[in-house]
Amino acid sequence: ADGKRDVVDPEVRAYVSSLVTALGGSGADEDGRYVLGDDALACLRDLKKWLKLYDEKANRLDVARCLAESNLVGGDLLQILAAWPENATDDRLKSKIALACLELLIPLTWPIDKNQKEMTVNHHRHVPYLEIAQLGYKRSIINFDGARILHTAVRCALPSMAEAMGDRSTRDEGIIKLLLYFVRNIAMIAPPPNVQYEGDEADISRSATIDAFDYQDILHLLLTVSSTIGEDFNTQDVVVLDILFYLIKGVDIEKLFLDEKAADNSKMDELVRLRKKEAAMLRGYQNNAPTRHNRFGAMAWLQREDAKRTTISGQAAVTDSTRGLAKMDATKKFKPPRRALKGDNGPMDFDTPVPLSVQATKHLRSFVEEFLDSGFNPLFNHIRKAIDREAERVLEYHPRQFFYLISWFLEAERVRRRNKKSSKGQKNAAQQEVDSYSLVASVLNQEMFVTLNRAMDFSFENKSWQDLSAAMKCFTQILLTVQDMSESPLEDDQEIAENILNRIFYEETTHDRVANITRSYKDQGFGYLDASTELSHNYLRILEQYSKQNLDLQVRSRRRVRKKKKAARAAGQDEADDNIVDESEGEDAARAERTSHERKFDFKRFAARFVSQGCVDTFVTFTAYYNDLRPAQLKRAHRFFYRVAFKQEMSVMLFRVDIIALFYKMIKGPEGLDSQSSSYKEWDDFVKQILKRCTRKIQERPELVVEMLFSKINSTAHYLEYGYEKQTVTTK
Amino acid sequence: GGKSAGLGIDEEVEVTRKPRAPRVKLDEHRLLSAAGIPKLRKKARDHLKFKGKGHEYADASRLLAFYQLWLDDLFPKARFLDALAMVEKMGHKKMMQSARMAWIDEGKPHSSSG
Repeated sequence: ADGKRDVVDPEVRAYVSSLVTALGGSGADEDGRYVLGDDALACLRDLKKWLKLYDEKANRLDVARCLAESNLVGGDLLQILAAWPENATDDRLKSKIALACLELLIPLTWPIDKNQKEMTVNHHRHVPYLEIAQLGYKRSIINFDGARILHTAVRCALPSMAEAMGDRSTRDEGIIKLLLYFVRNIAMIAPPPNVQYEGDEADISRSATIDAFDYQDILHLLLTVSSTIGEDFNTQDVVVLDILFYLIKGVDIEKLFLDEKAADNSKMDELVRLRKKEAAMLRGYQNNAPTRHNRFGAMAWLQREDAKRTTISGQAAVTDSTRGLAKMDATKKFKPPRRALKGDNGPMDFDTPVPLSVQATKHLRSFVEEFLDSGFNPLFNHIRKAIDREAERVLEYHPRQFFYLISWFLEAERVRRRNKKSSKGQKNAAQQEVDSYSLVASVLNQEMFVTLNRAMDFSFENKSWQDLSAAMKCFTQILLTVQDMSESPLEDDQEIAENILNRIFYEETTHDRVANITRSYKDQGFGYLDASTELSHNYLRILEQYSKQNLDLQVRSRRRVRKKKKAARAAGQDEADDNIVDESEGEDAARAERTSHERKFDFKRFAARFVSQGCVDTFVTFTAYYNDLRPAQLKRAHRFFYRVAFKQEMSVMLFRVDIIALFYKMIKGPEGLDSQSSSYKEWDDFVKQILKRCTRKIQERPELVVEMLFSKINSTAHYLEYGYEKQTVTTK
Repeated sequence: GGKSAGLGIDEEVEVTRKPRAPRVKLDEHRLLSAAGIPKLRKKARDHLKFKGKGHEYADASRLLAFYQLWLDDLFPKARFLDALAMVEKMGHKKMMQSARMAWIDEGKPHSSSG
């Protein structure tokens, strides 16, 4: 434009800017109010045509770029929408104009797909500019002074939404879709990774989005649509899924359910905790820091065999041979080629934690509770069916969002119950009224298991790790929910939980899948590593508990079944094939004993699948992040190694130099675990045990000195552990 | 070009590049050579002693230093953990696997009696 060579065809720019000018403007003689041009509606429609016929058809982004530069959104569209007063909803021309504005806002805020192979030079030129422009759009839309823009958008669609589902025209359906996609776009826009947003981040943060959604009744809209899906709405389910995903991904559930006072305290606690961590870190450094200035120039040498010497500078080496060796290591520069981690940091990433303000926490929590009470079952049931049917509207990324959201809401429900229980316990234990788990029942049925299993198989085979990660999270939360259910005081809940556990316990394909996933970690990123170790930890733990389930619990459950059958018989609806009706109490006990014995055996066999080098390696990789792990995550790793070494009695699997080095470093440093932390003690005990066994084993079997360098196959490990070959059945 | 011949400007300079010294690699041959695992085994037999109960961490530190110094001799340029990872990788090769089997069999009581 201004004399320099323009990045956009000047003719296009001229057309577009004349349209923007003709749309209207604010002038001094109207007190700064915005006044529509004479042919505003036609201008809006022309702009839409430009976007469609030039940008979309020719696969360019020129018009979008011109519109961003001319401030159409902030300067015109939002002004026009703001000037549509509530009492003029019936004004046909005005509502048409509002709708036309909305129709322009959708393509302008539409997520820019950067991974397409057909990206042209032109795209590369415009995309960075447009991404920043979209952040500006979002900021002015959710923070607009004097009018609720999102609410106005809802008003555009209200007449269509009011129609009964069967009576809606295609146009009505289109308008509803328009509104929901607009909300989705706004929820989704976020600063791209590696881009420094120049404005105030707080204006477009998740907190700001949630506050705006609350203030402008969007949360209501979401609740309405999701709770009446299947009745008043149908194909809108996936868009709602999309919106929910961008609204809650990465939000910490524990923090969400802390009450305000506790939240304040926890912030203080967090500060104290972080200061402590920092102090521990500094303590660690200070132990190794030089006591004199940096040019003091001490020099030490290590006497090696064959009259060889290694020289090491700095006083650290003089006093302590371990630190001398560490120093020797640190001066080496060679780095073997390493592959980068494959984690996702695009818009679909759900592993990055998102902090929320106090206000936004409050709004989101009440939304989540209401959603659990009314929207959870209808929405997720509806979408599950759509996924199973492979409906056309279900896109490739929807299953990932689906599973992630289920895991998130199930955890939210569990935390909510726990809080309720503890607060009730304080007030009045006697008056406790128990809620059943029916609020989340739609994801605990057999159909859901089928869908989930299929998704896990599919994504594992196709190496779509983020999809698998979401599905694993979902499975973990289902397991935990079922476990909570089995401890519910309601008999119905117990029975459902028991049936599910029973089925999982005997499902060999699921055992194989979980073990395979755990075994095969390879640079999929920390989020995936966290999800897979969490799944295998909980899976093992819950099945172990089930296998140990005490006898009278089993007797009680059999008695319950018998009672039911009896009642059914009394009501005259007996079935021919019941086989446990006429057993006595004594037989119950005997049978229960047998079952529990079998289960113990089955569990032992199953747990043995996790004693492979692959599984150990995965947990070693996980544990290497020890300084960044939460206590629960450290515990997970500790339990796994403890199980391998002592419950399965294969400590040999841990006798590898790098693993021993890791364990040693965790306790003795440098940069070890904080010795004040809660996890330190149990790790210290465990590592000491392992080291003791390791050195004893080396003395016992000198060949271990070599095998310490390598991964061991099971037969070798078995020989080293027990001193004889594994007995296999041979008949000769 | 006669005038400047004495300055040697016109003479073609022969560019001969010395072949680069072959990079030392940590492969199975190096690992199986005298400086490799055979030396490790010998050193372990002669020098690796532990104090046992109550000295777990001191023993572990001695053990780790033992491996670190061995690797530093064998393949000086790599850091300890990197070198360990490279050695571990070698362990999956056929040649290494049969060697490992042989070492283990040596330790078995019945192998001498045949």
